[in-house]
Amino acid sequence: MLEETRDDAAMGERYVLNMGPQHPSMHGVLRLRLELLGEEIQEAEAIIGYAHRAHEKMAENRIWPMFLPNTSRVDYLSGMIYNLAYCQAIEKMLELEVPERAEYIRVIASELNRISSHLLWLGTYVMDIGGLTPFLYAWDDREQILNILERITGSRLTYSYGRFGGLTMDVDDVFVKQTEAFLERMKGRLVEYDKLVRQNVIFIQRSEGVGVIDAETCRRYGVTGPSLRAAGVAYDVRKDEPYGIYDRFDFEVPTATAGDSLARYDVRIREMEQSLRIIAQGLKDLPDGPIMPDKPKKKFKPPEGPTYFAVEAARGHFGMYLVSDGGETPFKIKLRTPSFSNLSAMPEVLRRTMVADTIAIVGSIDIVLPEIDR
Amino acid sequence: MSATAPVLDGLLLESAADEHGKNGFHHRHVCAPKSLLAIAHAFDAAGFFLEMLTAEDRRADLEKMRLVYTWNRFGAVERHLLTCDLEVGASAPTIVPATSAADWMEREVYDMYGVRFDGHPDLKRILLPDDSDFHALLKDFGRIEDAPAPDDAEDA
Repeated sequence: MLEETRDDAAMGERYVLNMGPQHPSMHGVLRLRLELLGEEIQEAEAIIGYAHRAHEKMAENRIWPMFLPNTSRVDYLSGMIYNLAYCQAIEKMLELEVPERAEYIRVIASELNRISSHLLWLGTYVMDIGGLTPFLYAWDDREQILNILERITGSRLTYSYGRFGGLTMDVDDVFVKQTEAFLERMKGRLVEYDKLVRQNVIFIQRSEGVGVIDAETCRRYGVTGPSLRAAGVAYDVRKDEPYGIYDRFDFEVPTATAGDSLARYDVRIREMEQSLRIIAQGLKDLPDGPIMPDKPKKKFKPPEGPTYFAVEAARGHFGMYLVSDGGETPFKIKLRTPSFSNLSAMPEVLRRTMVADTIAIVGSIDIVLPEIDR
Repeated sequence: MSATAPVLDGLLLESAADEHGKNGFHHRHVCAPKSLLAIAHAFDAAGFFLEMLTAEDRRADLEKMRLVYTWNRFGAVERHLLTCDLEVGASAPTIVPATSAADWMEREVYDMYGVRFDGHPDLKRILLPDDSDFHALLKDFGRIEDAPAPDDAEDA
C-alpha cells in the first residue's frame, strides 16, 4: 500500500507476537518480540542472552592457556577459526614464531571449517523458507568435512586443534587425499546447488528484494562478513588486515550489490568457491617440517597492556581484545563477535516487513546464538 | 568509504601513534567523558564504524572504571583505541546519536559493569536475566577464590 493512502487505523489493532526463544526456525535461542499490524511488523525487538555462558568471566578466572578450549565453544560452527584466533592472538602478544607447516595446515583447516559453516547455513536457510531437499545434500557434504577434521583433531565441532606456536597434531597423506577428494566432489556439488536452489523460482521469490541491508546501515551497526559484502563492501579481514599467511594466497573477496537475502546467498556460495581455491593452493604448497616450535610455551606471562587481534570468521569480523596485567591470568578478554553486531541491525531491517518474511530475513544473516550470547 | 582522517582536534587528553604489528592498534587516544559523543561524531563523519565497546574494572589499581572503544573502517583498516576513565559510580554520555552500534554495546557494558549511559534510548540488561542483582564482569563478583570449598566430610 502506498504510504500516502495508508490508513493504519483501518488495519485494526496492533498486537504482539513472540517468536522464539524456542522456535523451529530460530536455530538456537533467539526471541523476537514483534509488534504487528495485520501481517506487517511495526517494531521488532531481539531479546538475547538465553545461551549466555560467561566465557569472558571464565577467562578472568584461569591462566591464559586454560581459556583455549572455551574458544571453539563461542561459535561452535566455526570453532576452528575461533580456536586458532586465540592461538594467534597469544602468539602476537608473546612474539612467537609459528613453523611454516603449521601455518599452512591452519589455513586449510580454517577454510574447511568455513565451508562447513556455510554449508550448514545453506541447508538450514533453504529449509527455513520451504526447500527440504538441499538440506540433505548440504548435510552430506558437511559430513565429509567433519570426518576429515575429526580424523586430525579428534573433535567434530568444538576443535581445540591450535597450540601457542603451532598445532596439537600433524596431518598425513590420508588427510591430503581426503581433502583433495572433497575439493573434487564440491566442484560438481556447487553446480548442483546452483540448479537445485539458485534457479528455483520459489527460492528466488522468497529471498530477492527481501531484508535489504545497505552499506551505510552496515557501517552504522558494525555489520561485517557476508552480510556486509552482499551490500557491496569488499571488507574481509583476511585481505584487509592479513593474519597468519593469508597474504600468500591468491583468492578473491566476492561481493554483491543488492544487499538482500538472495545477495547474501550468492556471496556465501562464491565464498565457498574461494575457500576451495585457498585449500587447493595450501595442499599444493604444504611444506614438510615441524608443527610446533622446539620449546613450546606452556605457562607464560604476556607483557602488560592491551592487544587486539581480528580474524575473518564465517560470519564476519571476530575480534579479541586481550588485556594483560603482566600476570599468569588474563586481566580481561573481550570477544567481539560478528553475529552480535549483525543481529543488532535486525530491528531496523525488520521494520515494515511482512511477518512471513521474518525467517527469510533473520535466517539470511546466519546468526549463531551462542556466539552472540557468549 | 572515503579515507579521510577523523577530526579530533581539542577533543583528546592524550593521543599517540601505535604499532599495529605489535598490538593491533594504529592509534591510541585518551579522552574525558564529556568529549565521547563529539569524538564519536567525528569518527562517524570520517566513515569509521564502532568496532568494539567494552569496559575494564580498574577500581583496584586506579580507582576508576575505564571505557574502551575501538573505531575502525572498512577497506583502509585503521584501528583507533580510545579509552575514557570514569569515576567509580559515574555515568557516561551515550554515543547512540552518532552510531546505532552503540545501542547494544552500551547495554552490554551496563549489564556487565554497571556503568550507566545518559541519554541511551533504552538502557537495560542484554545478556544477563533482567532481575539479576549483580554486574558479572566486576572484579569483586564471582572470583574463583571466593567459591565455597568442597565439603570433604560429605564425600568421606
